[in-house]
Parts: sequence; C-alpha cells; structure tokens
Amino acid sequence: MIALEGVAARRRPLALASVSVAWGAGVHAVLGGREDGGALLLSLIAGTARPRSGRVTVLDGIPFDPGVRKRVSMVLLDPALPDALRVDETMALAAAIRGEPARPASERLGVLGIESLTTRSVRSLSLAEARAVALAEGVTSSHVRVLLVEEPFLSIDPRAMSLLSPQLRARGADGCAVVVLTASPRDAGELADDHLVLRRGAITARATTIEALSSASQAGALRIVAHDSRDARALVVALAREEDIDGVAQDGTAVVARGRDAVTLARTVGRAIVGTNLDVAEMRFDTLPGETPSPEGLK
Amino acid sequence: MIAVLAQLPIARVVRTPRTWVATGAWCALAVGMALVMRARGASHGADDVLVEACGALVLPLLAYTLVGTALGARSVAGSTTAVAAFGASPALAAAVTVGVGVAASALGGAVLAATVAIVAHGAADPPLARDALVSGYVGALGGAAYASWFALGAGFGRRGGGRLVALVIDWLLGANGGVTALLAPRAHLRNLLGGAPPMDLSQRASAVALAILVLVCALGAVGRART
Repeated sequence: MIALEGVAARRRPLALASVSVAWGAGVHAVLGGREDGGALLLSLIAGTARPRSGRVTVLDGIPFDPGVRKRVSMVLLDPALPDALRVDETMALAAAIRGEPARPASERLGVLGIESLTTRSVRSLSLAEARAVALAEGVTSSHVRVLLVEEPFLSIDPRAMSLLSPQLRARGADGCAVVVLTASPRDAGELADDHLVLRRGAITARATTIEALSSASQAGALRIVAHDSRDARALVVALAREEDIDGVAQDGTAVVARGRDAVTLARTVGRAIVGTNLDVAEMRFDTLPGETPSPEGLK
Repeated sequence: MIAVLAQLPIARVVRTPRTWVATGAWCALAVGMALVMRARGASHGADDVLVEACGALVLPLLAYTLVGTALGARSVAGSTTAVAAFGASPALAAAVTVGVGVAASALGGAVLAATVAIVAHGAADPPLARDALVSGYVGALGGAAYASWFALGAGFGRRGGGRLVALVIDWLLGANGGVTALLAPRAHLRNLLGGAPPMDLSQRASAVALAILVLVCALGAVGRART
C-alpha cells in the first residue's frame, strides 16, 4: 500500500537518507519527531514533498497522482483547514473534493465526540479543536485508504482523545494503512502493530513490539556516503572528535562510524554532518558482524 | 470541481469584514472625490477623477485588497493548502483562487469606475451612458490586470509578501512614460482612462497589453503554486 525505496529527501534543515520501508494495511508507528524528519516522511507519502532520489509508491501509484491524493489524509500538528468556512461546510467540501457521498457533518464529527463544533467557523477553532476536526474528516472518510497522523494525542480536543485510538485501530483493521508519527513509545505501543525508529533522517530500527525495538536499537555501524573523498575526510575528522563514536574509518567516499547504541550513533553522525555543513549522498545502518538484528532487521 | 474549489476563495472575500471595510474606504475616497468635482462643476470631472484618483490609487489598492483576501493573506501555494490536503490539484485550486481574485477585482473595478464616471460627469465629458459604459469596461480590465499582477507577486515569499513588492514595482515602473512603463498595468490603465500614454501607445494597444498581462501573470501565479 505504501512503499519507499531508497528515498532521500531534504527540507532544510532536515534530510532523509536512503529510507526504505513498506507498509500494508494496519496501524504503523514511526518513532521520532520533526527534527528526525518524521513530518517530511509523511509529506513524501502525502505527495506534498518530492524526493530527491528513490521511489515513493502509494496505493499503487505516485503520491502526486490526483486519484491517489484524494485517498490520502494527512493530519500534522498544524492542520490546514479552509479558514473562511464553517466546520460543516469544510466536511462537505472535503467530501466533494474526495468524490464521496455527502453525509451529515454532525454524524461524522460525532465519531470523535465533537459534534458540537458543527456550526462553528474554522477561524474560531482552537488548534486542538482544528486537529480534532481534521482527524474526524480523515477517520470518517469513506475514500481515504491512507491516513497519516503526526502526534495523535498531542494538542487534541479532550473529547476526541479517548475515542481516537479505537477509531484509528478500526481503520487499520478495515484495510487502511494508518501511519502514526510520534515521539512517545507509549503512544506507539498503544496504537500500532509495528514500529520503526527514525533518528536524524535514518531508520535505525524496526520491530513489531516496543520491547523488540529496544534491543534492535543496540550496536551498529553507520555507513555514510559523501559526494567526494574530501567531504568524507572532513566527516572523519569531525567524527573522530565525538565521544560517542567507538571507531571511524574511511573507504573512498564512504565513511563507516561504529558505536554501541544505534540511536546515539545516528544522532552523533547527524550532528557531525550538520556541523561540517556536508551534503551526504546516502546514509544507512550496517549490522556489525556477529550481532543479531531485530526480528525484521535493521535498515 | 471548479465550483467546489471556488467556495473557499469566495467565502474569504464575502466573509472577511476587514475586506469590506478596506474596499468600502477606497470606494468612498473615489466617490468622495467625484462628488467634489461635481460640486465644483468641473467640465472634465469624470476624466480627472478617473485618471488621477481611480486609476492611479484606488483601483490598484482595491485589487490589492481583494486578491489578498481571496488568497487568505497567504502565498498562492499557501492559499490552496487546505483544499490540497483533501486531494485537490494544487494547480487547479490555485487557478480557481486566482480566478476568483481576478473576477472580484474586475467586478469591483467596473462598478467603481462606472460610478465615478456618473457622479463626476462634467459638461465636456463624453455622453453619460457611453462614458459610464466605457469607464466600466476599462475599470474591469484594469481591475483584472492588477489582480493578476498582485497574484503573481503573491507567488513569492512564504506568506505572499511579493504582493507588496508588485505594488511598489507598479508604482515605480508606471510613473514614467518610458519603455519600462509598458511592463506594468499602471501606465496602460492611465492611457485607457484618457491620461498620458506610455511610449505614445494607442488605447487599443494598451487594452491588448492589459489583457496579455492578465493572462501571463495569472499563468505565472498558478505556476508558482505547483508542488
């Protein structure tokens, strides 16, 4: 349903490097924040950002395809709603654009317990109310097959808080791909069927449970491919100064950094790349010899 | 789909009280000057107010306000984010939004210019009905050209700040009668309203130039909204 193959993308100051992941129906969690490139990852899937390299496939098409876009709903921390309309007009507008039959707005909003917002102007909504309305639109749309949600339990109307989790799970069970971006392992564990960790633009671990994810986040080697050997050398010098790096080696334009903790390793390498102002071509985790990756392997 | 996408920019124009206050103020200024001319009994009252006040000041500011409102005080791309989030094509949404801004400005320009022509009509002005009709046509063309010009400006800057730059550029370029004046709506509109032509251009040529500006600037604005 969703497939990213070797995707690299950039939205200053963030970069995603060589991200490969495939998601089918169900609820999937991405553990990470905006600073890790999580929102950029969701934007690539929603077709609001373009990859620099690699391929993104959503619902057997490209995310920019109008037919695909209408079946994708993305709710970020700052949702975009039609500012001059009322909430019920917004729901009708969304239904008309998506090409689905119009249903009473109060019925759709009632799914998240916010039917009292029906006649309110979008301009008058608080951020939490606006997010609840955007989520209600996505959750209750009959045409949406991919639902992308950033921090589902952050800045959301309290009435919708308790109802959201079962609704997202129901959509996942109903054949939709629900991708939740969160920095909270607890939220990820409560909602999702599988989890991956996104740190500084790279997937550092993937597992079906939070517990397995912890073990998957252990030792690793990070391979960074620079555009030329001069850049690679500069990166080696920068990494050699970092306390969290156990070892660093250069192989042509590639730099291999080793550390005991994959998350710290990714964070440290990311910091060194930003510090040296380098534009790397690729970054990926290699499993150290003799170590066992997580059930689904490290990326 | 066009009617569906037009709902948001139309609602922005109709439901934003600040816009009505601003457009009302600009129109009151133009009509007020027309009333002064009428009271003075100026023989070319309509010409004077249309060239000096309406075309040079009020019409650009009216279009500036209406386009800004249709875009929700955002960039062209930013103004379509909400409908694009539901799956609408950003380019189509931008085209419809710019179209609403152009249509509102053309309508406002036509009504304003015709009203001013009627109110300030002097003894030496052309026959009243014909003058009002021609002024309305010129006001519509000028309003559309300015709206398109500002929409292109709003394609630049995170919040469409290029719209203000476009206003300044129009004032700077259009103030003289040189070659650069041909690039901005101001000089062509002045020519059509009976003022000094840029580079001795005929009124017909200025009308064509404004029509081209409408098309080119609108296409440029829509192009800026593509993902």
